[in-house]
Formats: sequence, structure tokens, C-alpha cells
Amino acid sequence: MAVETTKRTMTLNLTDAEMQVLEALSAQKDLSKTAVIRQALRLYQLVDHRLASGEKLFFEDEAKRQKELMMI
Amino acid sequence: MSSRRKSRLKRAGKKELVAAEIVDALSKDELLATHLDWEPERLQALRELLDAKEPWPEHWHWDWSKKAGLLDFMAYRCMGIECEGRMQGLLMASTIARSSRVGPTGKAVLYVEYIESAPWNLKDLVDEPKFSGVGIALLEAAIELSEEEGFGGRIGLHSLPQSEAFYRKYMTDLGPDPNHQGLHYFEMSAEQARLFLEGRK
Repeated sequence: MAVETTKRTMTLNLTDAEMQVLEALSAQKDLSKTAVIRQALRLYQLVDHRLASGEKLFFEDEAKRQKELMMI
Repeated sequence: MSSRRKSRLKRAGKKELVAAEIVDALSKDELLATHLDWEPERLQALRELLDAKEPWPEHWHWDWSKKAGLLDFMAYRCMGIECEGRMQGLLMASTIARSSRVGPTGKAVLYVEYIESAPWNLKDLVDEPKFSGVGIALLEAAIELSEEEGFGGRIGLHSLPQSEAFYRKYMTDLGPDPNHQGLHYFEMSAEQARLFLEGRK
């Protein structure tokens, strides 16, 4: 059996500030708001699993030779 | 949403089109079953190349069973193309959007992590491949997945040197990526994707 991909609907309550961020990301990435939320969920699941497995998350700026550990 | 849709392949060496199906969300079980189906023929072909002192293909070490764990995450999606009862090719994509570098920059791009034909379809492994058109059918499936995800058909991938000429026909070559073993990064814009799909009709 292939993976189940049926979609379900839910209502999401956001503050004005959260909605503004969602709308900005939606415009910037050319994605629907639903697609942005899906992206966030996928990223969160992956990052959370890897952190729980003992890995660390870094942001690196090669030009400035800086590495920043993200504390999540 | 249906997990299967129609596609087509060409019987290699003939002009005969053969009906095939894209399985658009393979489970771990299906991926492992495909790995088990492919592995004996891959190993046999590699052994013959070794005996003949011929070079092995660049991706000879790919092991789909080791990629199955990625399917525990929503961030990955595996698709296959099935024909005459066997999986003829596989594709693994990351559905966490990358940022486009072709056309309008910063837009969502579907990233293709791996794409491979079954060992009996690879010219590098066998003298007479069974089916051709596997890569192009999977590329079409990736574009459709990109559209389904709301990414406008945009896709990106790093190509092995042996496949660069193929991707250059349909995508923009952005050159070697120092962060990816120097492999060339290719991207297909929404417009290139539209033209590609039109050409497939």
C-alpha cells in the first residue's frame, strides 16, 4: 500500500502578527498559506527528530566565518 | 488523492510505447521490496563489468534500503514508475522547499534527492536495456509533485556527471556546487516546467 495522502481540514487561529508573517512568507515563496504551514510542520518534525537524536543545528556564514548554534 | 496515475515508457530498441504507472507516494515496504527486486540484478551486472574490466556507473553504491528511513518524515516523498509488474525507476524528493535561483529568485523549489532507473534499464550496466524513458517520466512526475505542493512545477537537483547532458536539455545548469561535492546544480523554472509538460502531451 502506498502512503496515505488524504487531506483533512482544520481551523487555525493566529494573532495579527502571526498572520502577517504567514502572509509575507506566502508572498515571498509564492506559496499558499496552507503550503507555508505544511512546510513549517515538515521542517519542525525533521529538526525535532534530529535534535532528539543528539544532533545539533548550526547556521553558518562562510563570508564572516561564523557558526551559530541554534538553541531550540 | 489517487496514489497511482498513468504514464508511459518505451521498450528500448523499439518504438513501442508501453503503459506504465507512477506510484506517487511509496511506502517503506514498497521501497524495500523494490530494493530486493533490483539488488540481485545490480550485483550480477556489476560483477560482469568487473570481469570485463569495464568501469562501474558513478552511482553503483546507491542503496535504496538505506534511504527508506527518510520516509518516516513528511519532508520526503518517494515515487516509482511501475511497468509490467516491476518498478522500473525510483525518485526521492524533499518536499521542504528550496529557494529558486532561476527566474524569480527565492520561490519554492522541489528538490530531487535521488533518481535512478532499475538496473536492467541502465545502459552502463546492461548491453540491452529493457525500457527507455524512465528518467523523463520520473522528471515529469517530479514536476507534477511540485505543482501539487504549490511550488509551480519548479524542481532542482544535483546531477552526477554521467547525467548532466540529459538534465541540460530541460533545466538550467547553475554550475558546480562546492557544497555538494562539486556536482552541477540544475534547476527548472516554472516556465521551463510548463514547456516540459507541454512537450510530453
